[in-house]
Amino acid sequence: MAKILMKGNEAIGEAAIRAGCLNYFAYPITPQSEVAEYLSKRMPEAGGVFLQGESEVAVGYMIFGAAGCGQRVFTTSSSPGVSLMSEAISYIAGAQCPAVFVNIIRGGPGLGGILPSQGDYFQSVKGGGHGDYRLLVMAPASVQEAVEMMMMAFPLAEKYRNPVMILGDGLIGQMMEPVEFPDHLKSEPTNKDAWASNGMDTRGSDKQNLVKSLYLDPQQLNDHNLLLKSKYEQMKKEEIRFEPYNTDGDYRVLIVSFGTMSRVCRTAIDNLKEEGIEVGMIRPRTLFPFPESAIYDAAVKDSCTSVLSIEMNMGQMVEDVERCIRGQRPVRWYGKCGGEVPTPEEIMDLVKEYV
Amino acid sequence: MKINLKDIVIIAGNYGSGKTEVAVNLAIHCKKAGTDVRIADLDLVNPYFRTREAKAVLNSYGIDLVLPPEMYMYADLPILSPAIAGLIRNPSPLTILDAGGDDAGATVLGALAHVLKDQEVRLLQVVNPFRPFTDTAEGCIRIRQEIEGASRLKCKGLIGNANLIDDTSAADIRSGYEFLQNLSGQSGLPLEFITAPSGLLPELEESEFACPVLPIRRQLVPPWKRAAVI
Repeated sequence: MAKILMKGNEAIGEAAIRAGCLNYFAYPITPQSEVAEYLSKRMPEAGGVFLQGESEVAVGYMIFGAAGCGQRVFTTSSSPGVSLMSEAISYIAGAQCPAVFVNIIRGGPGLGGILPSQGDYFQSVKGGGHGDYRLLVMAPASVQEAVEMMMMAFPLAEKYRNPVMILGDGLIGQMMEPVEFPDHLKSEPTNKDAWASNGMDTRGSDKQNLVKSLYLDPQQLNDHNLLLKSKYEQMKKEEIRFEPYNTDGDYRVLIVSFGTMSRVCRTAIDNLKEEGIEVGMIRPRTLFPFPESAIYDAAVKDSCTSVLSIEMNMGQMVEDVERCIRGQRPVRWYGKCGGEVPTPEEIMDLVKEYV
Repeated sequence: MKINLKDIVIIAGNYGSGKTEVAVNLAIHCKKAGTDVRIADLDLVNPYFRTREAKAVLNSYGIDLVLPPEMYMYADLPILSPAIAGLIRNPSPLTILDAGGDDAGATVLGALAHVLKDQEVRLLQVVNPFRPFTDTAEGCIRIRQEIEGASRLKCKGLIGNANLIDDTSAADIRSGYEFLQNLSGQSGLPLEFITAPSGLLPELEESEFACPVLPIRRQLVPPWKRAAVI
């Protein structure tokens, strides 16, 4: 298919349709309302459903209901909206239903602001809702990558029967880039008859499927949590994704950065190279599971003397970077908030302090 | 061929058709050609990549940019500055109004209908055929009708803005021009001008096009890129 020029928000909506997801429930919030705007036109054309919920709390449970019936379903929101959905996200993870959530982050906390931010790293990666659950979290750095991650997200959610989160800052949603769409994927979860409450007649079964997260028996709940944990351990083995940049040669400084922030870092790294200063970068594409060994290996390289975690927040991912480097190298955070994005020049100046 | 625009020109079109990039480049182009230009940011719909981001470059050319008051610059609610009505009542030789996207963005023009009705106004639709919903003539005409309904104004012409940002080729400019020629024929609206990234101009002959070509030097760029020198 030929290239087309799309906003990230539009491309996310189109990618969901291409992935075979025909159920979209949402509540508008800047800076992701264009997904709903786009799908209000496109879903009827594709034979799908777009329904605006009465709130994000309602939307969270609409997602749970559709997922529990074995339907591909997704929603998009932005930070405060995702907070409101977090209860349902915990229930969906507990009930082992597949669903896709997209958070186009705005500045926080509270109502914050409408400009880009990466302030929801903790919320997505460490569990915004209650209980022992994890989301598989992917962070695109371009509109094309947002499309690819959306299309991967549905089969991954079904493979693990767990919610998948696409975490983009406001720039991912708002900027326009040329994109190409891969072919359509199969339109239904392949394993749904084993667990979905989709009707015994429909699946030709005499066994009832019960979608629930309530386990009053302590032994059963412990076993249930062990089962969930085993899925998260499997994600750590099979789903880690990252992109190294300029890590082949000898570099003095290693940058860890994700999403559109990594593109600013890339410009800084290219400019520094022209000045004869080598800097490597690891860009986590999955934030959970986190590319722990890749970051450790890149940091302990003989030439590397320090590590910078550069984020559009006040220092969240840096805690994971420190954890995986295990004290082998000094780790420093640099970042800004509220829609202020660190510039390539600032990052270059920062790196020069270390070389 | 020279772009001949005067009085009040309203730049409208669907979301992401490139209205703001066109408006900013057009303002500077006309100013360089000796016309006094003022420009107003009427985009109350989209929170990112708005005319206000090109304030410094516009001011450096002596082009006045009318914006909402500073304290409301990042408001989540639409703010329409009363200065806009003043600007329309006392227009410059060329006054450019950069509207928001789709009929939603054009609704603000409807709110200004009582001041616009006494002026010479030229509403132009920006079309990028590489965008969703405007990749067919029918799609472009539907959006134009929605904009006309919301703004209570009639569209008087077309601006061809075929591009894939950095991936744009000379062939894309040519196929975009053909698309716009066809749309112009179907809709009966004249093609005022087309745009082309300034870097592609050496690959294009002026004689290929029966309308002027506005060179685009991108001013609205993400934080990892620099705005082009204009």
